[in-house]
Amino acid sequence: MDLTPNDEQESFLTATAEWCADNLPLDAARNRPAALWQQLEAMGWTGMTAPGMDLDHATEALVFAELGRHLAPIALLSTAVAARWAGQPGKTALALLDKDLTLGMVRVFDAPGAAHALGLVGGLAAITPLPSDLGGEPGLDLTAPLAHLDPAPPFTAVGGPDAALHLQLLAAAFAVGCADAARDMAADYAKLREQFERPIGWFQALKHICSDTAVRCAVARSQLCYAAGALDAGDPRAAFHIAAAKQLADQAALENARANVQVHGGIGMTDEAAPHLCLKRAHLLSFIAPARRDILLGEAA
Amino acid sequence: MDITFSPAEQQFRAECRDWLHDNVPDRRRPMDAADALAFDKAWQRRLFDAGWAGINWPTQYGGRGLSIVQQVIWLEEYAHANAPWIGANFVGVNHGGPTLILNASEAQKEYHLPRILKGEAIWCQGFSEPGAGSDLAGIRTRGRIEGNELVITGSKIWTSFAHVADWQELVLRTEDGSQRHRGLSWVICPMHAPGIEVRTIRKMSGQTEFAQVFYDDVRIPLDNVVGGLGNGWKVAMSTLSFERGTGFIADQVKQSEEIEELLERARQTGAIRDDGIAAQLAQLRAEVAALRAMTYRNISQVVRTGQPGAEASVIRLFTAELGQRLERMGLLLAGDDILDFRYGNDNLVADYLRGFAATIAGGTAQIQRDIIAERLLGLPKSR
Ligand SMILES: Cc1cc2nc3c(=O)[nH]c(=O)nc-3n(C[C@H](O)[C@H](O)[C@H](O)COP(=O)(O)OP(=O)(O)OC[C@H]3O[C@@H](n4cnc5c(N)ncnc54)[C@H](O)[C@@H]3O)c2cc1C
Repeated sequence: MDLTPNDEQESFLTATAEWCADNLPLDAARNRPAALWQQLEAMGWTGMTAPGMDLDHATEALVFAELGRHLAPIALLSTAVAARWAGQPGKTALALLDKDLTLGMVRVFDAPGAAHALGLVGGLAAITPLPSDLGGEPGLDLTAPLAHLDPAPPFTAVGGPDAALHLQLLAAAFAVGCADAARDMAADYAKLREQFERPIGWFQALKHICSDTAVRCAVARSQLCYAAGALDAGDPRAAFHIAAAKQLADQAALENARANVQVHGGIGMTDEAAPHLCLKRAHLLSFIAPARRDILLGEAA
Repeated sequence: MDITFSPAEQQFRAECRDWLHDNVPDRRRPMDAADALAFDKAWQRRLFDAGWAGINWPTQYGGRGLSIVQQVIWLEEYAHANAPWIGANFVGVNHGGPTLILNASEAQKEYHLPRILKGEAIWCQGFSEPGAGSDLAGIRTRGRIEGNELVITGSKIWTSFAHVADWQELVLRTEDGSQRHRGLSWVICPMHAPGIEVRTIRKMSGQTEFAQVFYDDVRIPLDNVVGGLGNGWKVAMSTLSFERGTGFIADQVKQSEEIEELLERARQTGAIRDDGIAAQLAQLRAEVAALRAMTYRNISQVVRTGQPGAEASVIRLFTAELGQRLERMGLLLAGDDILDFRYGNDNLVADYLRGFAATIAGGTAQIQRDIIAERLLGLPKSR
């Protein structure tokens, strides 16, 4: 047993972090350059676990948490799953079926440049071809163009149950990254901003808000690592562990994002400052392969 | 103790209800700033003409001279009738006017109070600065005295409604080299004076309801000082007590309507069959009931002693956080439809995003907790 990254994973992480710092600044998340997707492909992040690449989910989850910390394009999730289970090359948009899980209407995120979309249908990962001109406008999450397909086109299932777990794991990784981003932004601001002639982080009330963000991150990241390892190992309880990771990662992302707004005070409420980008991303992630209560309770059939 | 209203109060309630039933506009408050302003002004004028503006303000300034109990009854019926949000008249009606009633000269009151009630004069609040938010005593905007004028330089920020306001409650430093709470004055600043520039700021909900205000040698008459030169801190505290106290009664009573709407939606969609949601709704409904009881208790205290009790700060904090819990429940019930939110929408997602202000504006939740600990419980002062 070893839940720390090995040397190879460390070097992947460092490379990812460095590249993201230069090329994926969080505060520019809603104005990504058109050529970004090609760069992401060139870096190999669109198909790390695809046949032929053969990296493990543990490495992938760590890399995705790093990408998620920079609010990287949401289609990375669906693209990675499509590459792994359908050998699908190129960009795959993310599809969300409406809440009733009937095939009434489908929301498609990040469609420009994608030939297909992937989402969960009846608990299984499934894919559909997209009309070539499907664009989209930003919705709640300002970083991802959103389009609607109504009625829903037919979807074809890909992979087995593990493909759905893969999507849930990667969405959890993105949420862990999003929670990290909010934690760091809040702590940085608490050190910088002064009121009453001292940094606001001097006040215990703010220290405690910041500490809680760190606790939520550590909790969610630990479970994410365990869950990724469970998927790699073919552990029979992988579904539970991944659901637990998603549950805690969503909670961490949402609560940290809210805390980050509070720590920023007035400026945290503005469109110009970055805190709301994390908040809105956290809301989007919470709808992507959400953890099922019956699985968490061990009651799933 | 008695929870019943007197026959006269019940009669008053019936009058409120009847009038609101016939007069509440069908049209929602528009989103566009200019349209919203026209809407707010017209609605306020209609309230004034029918005698519903300034229910507990003195009659000589256009009010009705009734009690705060009647004011609360009106607000309850107002919320129940789903009448429009007060909008741009918020500052003038809820704390600008009351501050003037308490602190201003006769001439100031005679000029400004009727205009506020009629919706002819829109007010904004210039307290916060880039460097002075929670630490209000850190104010650096200066007013230099030249003859019978004040010459103002500096900047205010987060000023709600600055872009549509005619007047401002402006707190600034009028004594050179003064520190902290000393040497401040509360002045009535005309927003159309030369040298004032207003730059609106977009909120994360998409609206541009607040702004940064710049003052470049703005000249205003020294007569515009309220409550005496150098007494700004004291006057500002009375403004905050109205803002944090009675200013939020409308929000408090609105929450009673909101919980019923949530419950109705949960029943319609079947979400109430989810035990987790049912438990949360039950808790919220109890809390909303208690909030009403707290509001009544506080109002009774005002009637009895002329002042809100020390618990006003508790009510303010509880209202703020309860409002956010209600907004989050609204999101939960809406499910993934929230993902379609766009700037320009005025719906429950916009309410949720704007609702973050409840624990920031007018004193953050952290500052409110300090006040409760120190003033109510007598814990040692940390600042
Ligand atoms: C929607 C909105 C509308 C507003 N409208 C107006 C208006 O019309 N007029 C006006 O004058 N102002 C207005 N404000 C400003 C508001 O009053 C300030 O935002 C508020 O006082 C906080 O100040 P700040 O934004 O500078 O945050 P800061 O004071 O910098 O606070 C940042 C964080 O530090 C915390 N903090 C600061 N000091 C302490 C302490 N001693 N102990 C513990 N924690 C502390 C705060 O709680 C907060 O979490 C508005 C704000 C908002 C969000």
